[in-house]
Amino acid sequence: MAIVEQPTPSPSLPVPAGEAAPLAVTPTTTLGVFKRPVEATGWRSWVFTVDHKKLGIMYSVTAFVFFLVGGIEALFIRLQLAQPDGTLLSADMYNQLFTMHATTMIFLFVMPITTGLANYFVPLQIGARDVAFPRLNAFGYWCFLAGGLFLYISAFTGGMADGGWFMYSPNSGPMFSPGHGVDFWVLALQMTGIASLTSSINLIVTVLNMRAPGMSLMKMPVFTWMSLVTQFLLVFAIPVITVALFLLSFQRLFGATFFDPNFGADPLLWQHLFWIFGHPEVYILILPSFGLVSEILPVFSRKPLFGYPFVVFSGAAIGFVGWGVWAHHMFASGLGPASVAAFSLTTMFIAVPTGVKIVNWIMTMWGGKLWFTTAMLFAMGLVVQFTIGGLSGVTHAVAPADTQQTDTYYIVAHFHYVLFGGAVFGLFGAFYYWWPKVFGKQLNEPLGKWNFWLMVIGMNLTFGPMHILGLQGQPRRMYLYDENMVGSGFFTLSFWNFMATLGALILAVGVLCFVVNVVRTSWFSKVRAPLDPWDARSYEWMTSSPPKEHNFDSIPAVHSLDEFFHRKYQEDEHGQLTKMATAEEILDDLETHADEHIHMPDMSYWPLVVAAGLPLIALGLIYSYVISGVGAVLVLLGAYGWAQEPASADPEDLEPPSGPSQELATVG
Amino acid sequence: MARAGADHAQHRAHPRRRRWLAVPALAALTVALGGCASDAPQDSLNPQGPQARTIDDLIMPIFAVAGVVLLIVVVAIGYCVFRFRDRPDRDEMPEQTHGKPALEIGLTIAPAVLLAVIGVFTVKTIFDLDEQPNDALQIDVVGQQWWWEFTYPALATETGGPIVTSGEMVIPAGEPIALRLTSRDVIHSFWIPPLNGKRDTVPGRVHTLTMEADEPGEYWGQCAEFCGLSHANMRMRVVALSAEDWDRWVANQQRLAAEPTDEQALAGMEQFTGLCASCHQVNGLVDAEGEPVIADAATQVVAGVAPDLTHLMSRTTFAGGTFDLKVPECTNDPEYTAEYVTGTADNCLNEAELEEWLRNPPAKKPMFSDPENLESTDGLYRGMPNLGLSEDQIDQLVAYLRTLK
Amino acid sequence: MADVTLPAAGVAAAAPAEHEPGPAHVEHGPVDSHGTTGLSNNKLAMWLFLGSDCLLFGGLISTYMLYRGRTQNGPKPDQLYEIPFTSVSSFVLLMSSLTMVLAVSAARRHDHQRTRLWLVTTALLGATFIGGQVFEFTSFYREGLGFTTSLFGSSFYTLTGFHGAHVTLGIIMLLSLAAMTLRGRIPGDRAEVVELVGLYWHFVDIVWIVIFTLVYLIPA
Repeated sequence: MAIVEQPTPSPSLPVPAGEAAPLAVTPTTTLGVFKRPVEATGWRSWVFTVDHKKLGIMYSVTAFVFFLVGGIEALFIRLQLAQPDGTLLSADMYNQLFTMHATTMIFLFVMPITTGLANYFVPLQIGARDVAFPRLNAFGYWCFLAGGLFLYISAFTGGMADGGWFMYSPNSGPMFSPGHGVDFWVLALQMTGIASLTSSINLIVTVLNMRAPGMSLMKMPVFTWMSLVTQFLLVFAIPVITVALFLLSFQRLFGATFFDPNFGADPLLWQHLFWIFGHPEVYILILPSFGLVSEILPVFSRKPLFGYPFVVFSGAAIGFVGWGVWAHHMFASGLGPASVAAFSLTTMFIAVPTGVKIVNWIMTMWGGKLWFTTAMLFAMGLVVQFTIGGLSGVTHAVAPADTQQTDTYYIVAHFHYVLFGGAVFGLFGAFYYWWPKVFGKQLNEPLGKWNFWLMVIGMNLTFGPMHILGLQGQPRRMYLYDENMVGSGFFTLSFWNFMATLGALILAVGVLCFVVNVVRTSWFSKVRAPLDPWDARSYEWMTSSPPKEHNFDSIPAVHSLDEFFHRKYQEDEHGQLTKMATAEEILDDLETHADEHIHMPDMSYWPLVVAAGLPLIALGLIYSYVISGVGAVLVLLGAYGWAQEPASADPEDLEPPSGPSQELATVG
Repeated sequence: MARAGADHAQHRAHPRRRRWLAVPALAALTVALGGCASDAPQDSLNPQGPQARTIDDLIMPIFAVAGVVLLIVVVAIGYCVFRFRDRPDRDEMPEQTHGKPALEIGLTIAPAVLLAVIGVFTVKTIFDLDEQPNDALQIDVVGQQWWWEFTYPALATETGGPIVTSGEMVIPAGEPIALRLTSRDVIHSFWIPPLNGKRDTVPGRVHTLTMEADEPGEYWGQCAEFCGLSHANMRMRVVALSAEDWDRWVANQQRLAAEPTDEQALAGMEQFTGLCASCHQVNGLVDAEGEPVIADAATQVVAGVAPDLTHLMSRTTFAGGTFDLKVPECTNDPEYTAEYVTGTADNCLNEAELEEWLRNPPAKKPMFSDPENLESTDGLYRGMPNLGLSEDQIDQLVAYLRTLK
Repeated sequence: MADVTLPAAGVAAAAPAEHEPGPAHVEHGPVDSHGTTGLSNNKLAMWLFLGSDCLLFGGLISTYMLYRGRTQNGPKPDQLYEIPFTSVSSFVLLMSSLTMVLAVSAARRHDHQRTRLWLVTTALLGATFIGGQVFEFTSFYREGLGFTTSLFGSSFYTLTGFHGAHVTLGIIMLLSLAAMTLRGRIPGDRAEVVELVGLYWHFVDIVWIVIFTLVYLIPA
């Protein structure tokens, strides 16, 4: 019997006879009230799910909704700045919007959507049937959702946070940021922090312990590799921001003195804590997309990734060196020349592994047979735009120049090229590339091309001019700029501001194309995608689309990088690479040799119960400890139930009763 | 519609379109080179002093190198798009090469060497810029929400205290100035792009920065670290004067404010003493007993100070460098620097703007000064509150402020 | 196959041997039947969590070290600290690590009685430490060091408070384990649970050694 997924502790000792039986305590015997949910359809099948694929979809959909919210905030910002002395927004509203735009895009969009993709595809790419801790995975999702919603509650309770996503002290202290906006912000980020920490530990264990036979680390698909590096960054970066957030919330809620200069506090403490988290965070945002583009380019170039070990090690190198560059966010903070020089050099050094990746991506295309699907276009867009962002990054590493550039639109241009032109383009490429895998249908390609070109034009028109704006003296975070500031000639700063706004609108239309494409494909198209629409190379394509609940009928052993490709293509007698097997044939083979007993983790109420307690505790900290008490009871109850509940239930504990589900769960 | 991977011949119909990938990139480059505004007052690419020029000399070659690297990448990708696109005559699978270590190591070392060279120059410049001239004129720069105060500790006024001004930092041209920067509330950042990079002003810390203007003139800047509600309205200028004008400016600043002679201004002085002088210092102002009136803003505003108004008329802006104190006809006058020495001529004052400000300051510039909203600060304002002045009071105050030259 | 050490091993056994080997030019590595780490999922996760927690305490300790001299008008560290008292309570906590080791070893031998005994002893020692901390906090507070008195006060209470919360959580876990052995719910193959709590407990002890040294022993 192969117990594939049971996150119970594995015994390190042989089990003495007769002691193996009574280990599972069933909910029926503990609480006597609840039976475990088992629905394969309907809302309950989603809300109580522990399936990594469903959770991956839930992460991604929720994050995408937040992307739209953050995008609308960005549009308001751009409309306000379309001309000098804009009057659309008040100073207060503008400050709230740019704070929420950044917070939303970073913590509620890019981070969770990369978690979502990793959740869905890492187990599929390594031949696992779920993640190591399925209920913890569900808990992570609910914490993220709770945090996101909690953050936005503040819009209805007297104003959102307005201190910028970096929330520098002392401006974020109780005296300079009265109102509850910052309190909501701090506590919401603690919740998304719990989500990130749990999911990162979960994914690391999954990758390190649950790979298919034969899949050594250096045969792992690159997306899994980059996700692994990202999760390690998260494990060590999240506690640092947690400390910072604790200190700030203790100051705001309980009168602690941490950031109060009247008590002799050093405001730079916050900056150090924030950026020790904040710079690894940048790589947390971009590395998954590096992985995505390293998946997409080889498929559509019909060549293996050029220099796989270089790509992997440069990713790991970025993960290490990323810890030694945080103070480059503080070149103007007054660190002293020795620190500035040191961080300047480490920052330049990190450009080397980044450059290695770009070289490898180009060399992957070189000599290939390029097929320009939408996914490929997005990947190529990433390479070019990330190069621009990377090069402007080098100009910030030159610390004296950075004292002119920091806190201007030049920086805004830089990180949008990196995060939008880079991270987000990678994500959109992945949407198009993996859509048929997840939903069994392909997104419409012509509409995808519109999507891509509008986004490329919009993105470059929005953020390209910001280089000029910043170098010519327009600082960030200004709700208005003055007619006197814009200079003379045709290309005044107001001209470029207007262009940037125009670009933002084009960008919005591009994103709208994607939404239309999704709606059209999901509800108005009946065409099923072929099993292997892209002639793909990696492991996740060796199963049905969408994958069955247990992912693989039998786990294919791995003999090489690009396992799927090598099963399809082999050299004939002339040394010519020819297609020997189709995806369908490979799948048939796996299905005929299906494992007899596949144990999947069962659904559970408890992750949701525990996660639901957290926002109540947080709300209570702001308004009344009574609410906190209710939340705490919920958390304790949920934790108790969770601890008593086995990962896989006996059939009589299921509601309705049934055997372990092995039916294909369609999710499209 | 692209559907099947097995048959993607239909994609071969429009391969040429991909060549256009390179075009927007090149266009962007052209625009970036020719697309800058002229005379933008905060242009960091137009250095007007040795420090800013040092930075500019360092970064310009790096911009060029970056441009070349970008060009190489774009050309390489463009070549791939053109040369290696899937065409009907290409049926074979491309060679499944996994990499060429020698090539990759070479392409790793090349940028590393390039960056090392950049690093050497960067580190040298960092230490060069950090040097403090010994005999420089010292100015203490203090940021607070949402204006700048400048104190000249070496230059005493007739009261015995140093010259204090706000919004505009007046310096002698051609001489290095040693700044000591700090803040009274949150973090701000002092930034005059034509003269030097920015430096944060942090409460509880004193940072130093050196600045020098080659020529007499006005150099604009603004607070560059987000500092709350009215961050966008926290601006400043450096005014560099010729040696001769500088001496006259100092002499003027050292004088006390004289008692006005005309009736309206006298009435304004009484209004000022009653309504404004508790926060705004005017050296030379005396109360009924003939004692000097000393402002004690700490009882009313968080920062503990409000701008010193002794020589208000010798400035061109007010309210955190945000609004013009003078009408454009005067500011456009090439001889305008004389205004700094003698105070604004009577026909130059931008009365409309000043009156609007006095009518309701927080309406003109967002500030935390709604009395109902000051719980977090124990009733202290952040910025100037609405004093609810009548039109008569405003007229009288303006008449008095006119005399503060 | 119930005694497979790692899920991957189960997979290895399940994977049919009939799979076609890769194409001729592909390298044939041995089929890897173990995860990279050789640790169980739970233990690996615990190690990762503790690694993460290191950074949490790293941040708190740095904050304390930065602020310990900034006492404003409140009492200074050397006026408050009672080194002998704290040394004793530190010793108690260290001893609890020893009893924890005994508990783990008893659990490995499936000696439920001894396991329970040592778990409860460990919890009691931990509770003694917490009692000492509560006493210390109260006496510091009486001497004028409140949470909001000075930077020293805020950062001292935050750092030691976070450690105390960790110890308290550990005590709850220990007592839960003891209760589970009472109800016969930690059979041999789940002895690892005791080991996991042991890892956590040792970590908390080590952190205290660092805190005790940096906070109490090295003068500000």
